[in-house]
Amino acid sequence: MNLERFGMDTTTLAGPLEAKLRAVKAAGFTQIMLNSSDIVGHPEGEEAALAAVRASGLRATGFQVLRDFEGLSGHLHAYKVDVAKAMLQMCNALGSNILLACSSTSAHASGERELLARDLQKLATLAVPLNIRIAFEALSWGRYVSEFTQAWELVQEADRANLGVCLDSYHIIATRTELDGLQELDPHKVFLVQLSDFLWQELRSPEDRIDTARHYRVFPGEGVHSTELGELVRQIDEMGYRGDYSFEVFNDDYRNLPLPMVCERAKRSVKWVSDLVSRRSLPPRRTGTLRT
Amino acid sequence: MTIGERNPEPHNPLGMDGIEFIEYATSQPQAFGALLQKMGFAAVARHRSREVMLYRQGTMNLIVNSHGTPDATPAVSALALRVRDAAYAHKHALELGAWDMPTRAAAMELNIPGIHGVGDSLIYFVDRYGDFSIYDVDFVPLAGLDAHPPALAGLHYFGVVQSIMSERTRDWVDFYRHLFDFSVLPRGQYFGVLPKGTLLESACHKFYLQLVEPPEGAEDVHWEEGLARIGLGAPDVPAAVRALKERGIVFIDHGAVQPSDKGALTQFYLGGVTFELVVSHLNA
Repeated sequence: MNLERFGMDTTTLAGPLEAKLRAVKAAGFTQIMLNSSDIVGHPEGEEAALAAVRASGLRATGFQVLRDFEGLSGHLHAYKVDVAKAMLQMCNALGSNILLACSSTSAHASGERELLARDLQKLATLAVPLNIRIAFEALSWGRYVSEFTQAWELVQEADRANLGVCLDSYHIIATRTELDGLQELDPHKVFLVQLSDFLWQELRSPEDRIDTARHYRVFPGEGVHSTELGELVRQIDEMGYRGDYSFEVFNDDYRNLPLPMVCERAKRSVKWVSDLVSRRSLPPRRTGTLRT
Repeated sequence: MTIGERNPEPHNPLGMDGIEFIEYATSQPQAFGALLQKMGFAAVARHRSREVMLYRQGTMNLIVNSHGTPDATPAVSALALRVRDAAYAHKHALELGAWDMPTRAAAMELNIPGIHGVGDSLIYFVDRYGDFSIYDVDFVPLAGLDAHPPALAGLHYFGVVQSIMSERTRDWVDFYRHLFDFSVLPRGQYFGVLPKGTLLESACHKFYLQLVEPPEGAEDVHWEEGLARIGLGAPDVPAAVRALKERGIVFIDHGAVQPSDKGALTQFYLGGVTFELVVSHLNA
């Protein structure tokens, strides 16, 4: 696998959008996952943010994240539809073809499958005129959908061409979901793969998962689940996935390090993942601890 | 060519009943009007307050909207569908994930509900198409002219061709299938002289949409999503071609695209507008 298939995520890096774009580009990456706060939080406004992304020459891996969309009713549903439409419009303005939507954590959401599927269908229909694909991701603390197998079932039930799943290694490892379920996936319906690891062995509670997910993720090859992560990437590659890999690494320390240093760590991780896939027949290397 | 078995039989919950009108946008209404007249249309009414004209021939209503339109080349800007209950059809579409039409963008002042279609185009829902028509409210008939000019050579609306980006066919099939109950015709079943893409049949069996991705190897060709052209049905294409040639219309006559019994394509006028003729079993 070459570097072109890997992208960084703006959430990993500190500083203004322009500095992130420059650092990622300088490190040799060709794509970057963008967050809505990059756009609306830009001190000179949305247009300036869009112009910066266009000027960077970097491709948008995708745009994130629509939360808690499915399963609501009445005015809550109408409110979320408005939010979704605004997200889709920003995604479109960025030239991104993928909007990431995470499984709902809302206490107000219903778990009725028909309703969940219907809402995902609606989101997919909203996305069609804007040439956007919806990548639905199971958050490991999702209320009704917390594992990729459940997300895939719902995507199949909704059955829309522009609706697929996003696989996030963090959540899959956090919930210890069996990888056998990957065999059921249609590789063309995997719209994005997000990679990260973390530094503790176990995440016992949803609160643990949330806290770790938001503050203590590391790049693949730097954490303690290299075996599982390696196996996951190998299986995803073997099933025929040929899309992008995005490093979704939320890490408070990385947001306190110089951007080139963080980008270099990301590049080391690209090599680690690429070597894994190219040495398919060999067992994955155990790294065990954070490398410096 | 006739329509084969329709399997499964599409249902028609919106009570769709064909195309009420097709709208073009252009900043050259006079030049386009002259072209439409060559194509057999006649101007029949003028909008009360905006630079919008109604043309008609036979069963076809065609609106030319020049109200604040920046582009000179006429482009298909809206498709108005006849439905049983326009308010219901609109609400149904929004519930399923359609984008509501922007306010005040419509050619009509009468409140005709609509949604966003492909590119910048709109899809309207019209339920007044019997004795009382939507044109009675917004338009003033041109004095001394036949308000219902007959169709030239039996021409009638047959379909609309929509250009789409690569690998987008299934997205748009989903869109039309779920919002309007269009059904996909079997591969290989085409009409006319441009057998490309995917054909969708309306739930009322009265018109078609043709989805066309960019041809392979045409990466350098400028291609965007939008309503590319309209198809006019004719019971006898050669007769229609003769009648239109007599009126000064030129048809493309080289390579794979030549007038035949199946269909014909006019040359590109005014920077890019063309009309396709298709042999049609549909009733004019």
